[in-house]
Amino acid sequence: MQTSRDDRGRLGWPLPVIDAKLFADVDSSGDVGRELDVMTARNPSSKEFDVCVIGTGAGGGVMIDQLTAAGFEVVALERGGRVGPVDFDDDELRNVIRDEVFSPHQLETYRFDETSTPEPGRHAQIAHCVGGTITHWAAWSWRFQPDDFEVLSKEGPVEGANLADWPIRYEELEPFYGRAERDFGVSGVTGSNPFEASRSTKLPNPAHPERVSAKVFSKGARALGYQPFPVPMAINSRVYGGRPRCMYGGACRSYGCPVHAKATTLSVSLPRAEATGNLDLRANAMVFELPVDKKGRVTGARYLDSAGQEQEVRARQTIVACGSIGTPQLLLMSTSGSFPQGLANGSGQVGRNLTFHHHPSATAVFDDDLRAYTGFESHAAFDDLHASDPKRGFIRGGVIAETNTFTHQPIAYSLVLSEGLGFGSRWGAGLKDRIRAFPHVLSMALIGEELPMESSRVDLDPDVKDRFGLPVPRITKHHHPNDIAMYDWYEKRILELGEAAGARIVMPGRAEGVHIAADAAQKGNAHNHGTARMGVDASRSVLDKYCRSHEAKNLWVVDGSFMPTSAGYNPTLTILANAYRVADHFIREAGRQSL
Amino acid sequence: MSDMNRRDFVRRSGLYGVGVLAGLHLPRPNAARAAAESSTPAVLSIAEWKCLEALTARVIPTDHQPGAREAHCVNFIDKALAHEDAAAVPLYKGGLAALDGVAIARFEKKFGDLEAEPQDAILRDIDAGTAAEWKLEQLPSPLFFETARQHTIMAFLADPSYGGNRDYAGWKVSGYPGPRHRRGGFTPAQVEGTEPIVPIWDREG
Repeated sequence: MQTSRDDRGRLGWPLPVIDAKLFADVDSSGDVGRELDVMTARNPSSKEFDVCVIGTGAGGGVMIDQLTAAGFEVVALERGGRVGPVDFDDDELRNVIRDEVFSPHQLETYRFDETSTPEPGRHAQIAHCVGGTITHWAAWSWRFQPDDFEVLSKEGPVEGANLADWPIRYEELEPFYGRAERDFGVSGVTGSNPFEASRSTKLPNPAHPERVSAKVFSKGARALGYQPFPVPMAINSRVYGGRPRCMYGGACRSYGCPVHAKATTLSVSLPRAEATGNLDLRANAMVFELPVDKKGRVTGARYLDSAGQEQEVRARQTIVACGSIGTPQLLLMSTSGSFPQGLANGSGQVGRNLTFHHHPSATAVFDDDLRAYTGFESHAAFDDLHASDPKRGFIRGGVIAETNTFTHQPIAYSLVLSEGLGFGSRWGAGLKDRIRAFPHVLSMALIGEELPMESSRVDLDPDVKDRFGLPVPRITKHHHPNDIAMYDWYEKRILELGEAAGARIVMPGRAEGVHIAADAAQKGNAHNHGTARMGVDASRSVLDKYCRSHEAKNLWVVDGSFMPTSAGYNPTLTILANAYRVADHFIREAGRQSL
Repeated sequence: MSDMNRRDFVRRSGLYGVGVLAGLHLPRPNAARAAAESSTPAVLSIAEWKCLEALTARVIPTDHQPGAREAHCVNFIDKALAHEDAAAVPLYKGGLAALDGVAIARFEKKFGDLEAEPQDAILRDIDAGTAAEWKLEQLPSPLFFETARQHTIMAFLADPSYGGNRDYAGWKVSGYPGPRHRRGGFTPAQVEGTEPIVPIWDREG
């Protein structure tokens, strides 16, 4: 893998097109930002804010909303630019294939083990923009199960995995799940998932229409004795919260919603916060260091503005919400006399225990038009196979759902799944038959829990720098044997479902020869968790039970990195609920003047 | 295409389409849309255009429905090479010349002047990396073919404003009725399958 313009010259041949973007993003001339004269460029405003929040996605956006509403003066720093409905079309080439809308400057490196060369690219399926990754989420909104909070206690230690209990139980998060569901207008049928944890509040909005593909999926599920239900979605099924109802355009995941029927921090939290007058939101602010004073307290943040000029803000409390990739990057860049291994990293746990979800899937072809290009990403799921059962040869599990991830529009569908699917060649008549099958395809997938491993981690790439000369996050991701056994078992179940639903053709939804174990079709993921675990033991975790650093007492982390384990559900509602919980605690502690 | 190359591509594709061929992108957003107003060559020579058009027509052949030729996929690629995918211009110019070289060595005709059967035979070897007459050592033939194959799919199925998918040919073949974010979406009855869906080309006359 080539990483610099010089290499391109030496080859004497322009790189294969697939590599070309590396040259657009990697600036080997380097070090522009870092070589700024620190003494002259620093321009700390004399103003000290109550709170500095870094990141405006699910975790940061809720904190910004709750704290500004409580009267705190908040400065929010967001590495990305402002986007809004005017940018949110459903052009598949622009949004999905070329990914031009949300993260033009995103760059990480990725490797499968410590001995291989990290590959630069935009691997994590995240968004750098005001509103963060939740701006282009698909809006699945699950509550985790009680046993998801006690994985180590329930399962016992597993060799090669770093299982842990959460320092909180489901009951402590339950009211905040209700709060998140209410503010984000989650739709669905309360009680329709017989396996859902107990709840004290109902879903605030009714279910959406049942898409044809969901009817077919549910028919197959019922034939096998499962109990399908509408996926709870943070998408308006009626006018709610000052936002319109969904228009069922089909393109949610990887897209912004042009009418804000999809709940995001951009449509729910940030407008409320800006209306308080207590928010100073600065876009295109790339924070590269959280400075500390002699007592080891964080004094605010230093960042590069859109012109590459170094700026500094001061705040009494600092809340990091850069996502499970960006948060460890920032903490590890913030070295000081008090924190030589990186801020809040005396335990060495910052960046470790990174988990994704894995997604065994199947593609089933029917005669009817299943209309998966309407609606939103998933209209139906079942949880009957979710509960952990060691007799299967693995622990943990996940939820199985009907999805339109590939079938909402035809390009990615035709590019990614154009071989090994019963249509013959990747080009010619086989490809054309494949394209013709587009509206007849039912796609199904698992949201599979992965076991955390200490060696799966985010650290700073020693070689690759971003456009400012900052070290990019280096992702090293292993798969535990449990993940692979789970993948194989669930793939068989999903294939069975396709047959039970009466499909003409049923095939695994992965290209031939690609397997989680060998190739990690999983390189980069939309679901990133675990790189700043919360826990009771300060030597084995980064955050306490309120997501406050064990070591730097005025530092908090509220993105998905707090999760000790990942559960077998999409994580965002849990990130939102946790942020409401942390904000509630923060406001209470501030009232006691104990912050 | 060798197994290694193919697997590498699939890895890059990821399980969920995001990032597929993001590698082609240079930050000149949507310039191709404006350029697509012209349907004459912007980057390719006439000879290169003919060769590429013939290649695309074997990737998505014409049968009882239109294929890449009718959808004008070559125009999409030409305009992409003028803007977003400019980094791939040398790959195409080199690769198309090498492809014609293979055709001439085997049949004493340029690739575009051959019948479908010999064209397919050549492309199978190009795809597998086994064409002995491929004279461009710096560019593996499977990489050239895979790039053109993916570009052809994109051209066939992307919004017509990018210069391909002419007369909505690709969307008609795929049964996709067109994007709806700017057009009012679908009704609940359409989602449920109880009301017919009118494709955007019929709605817009």
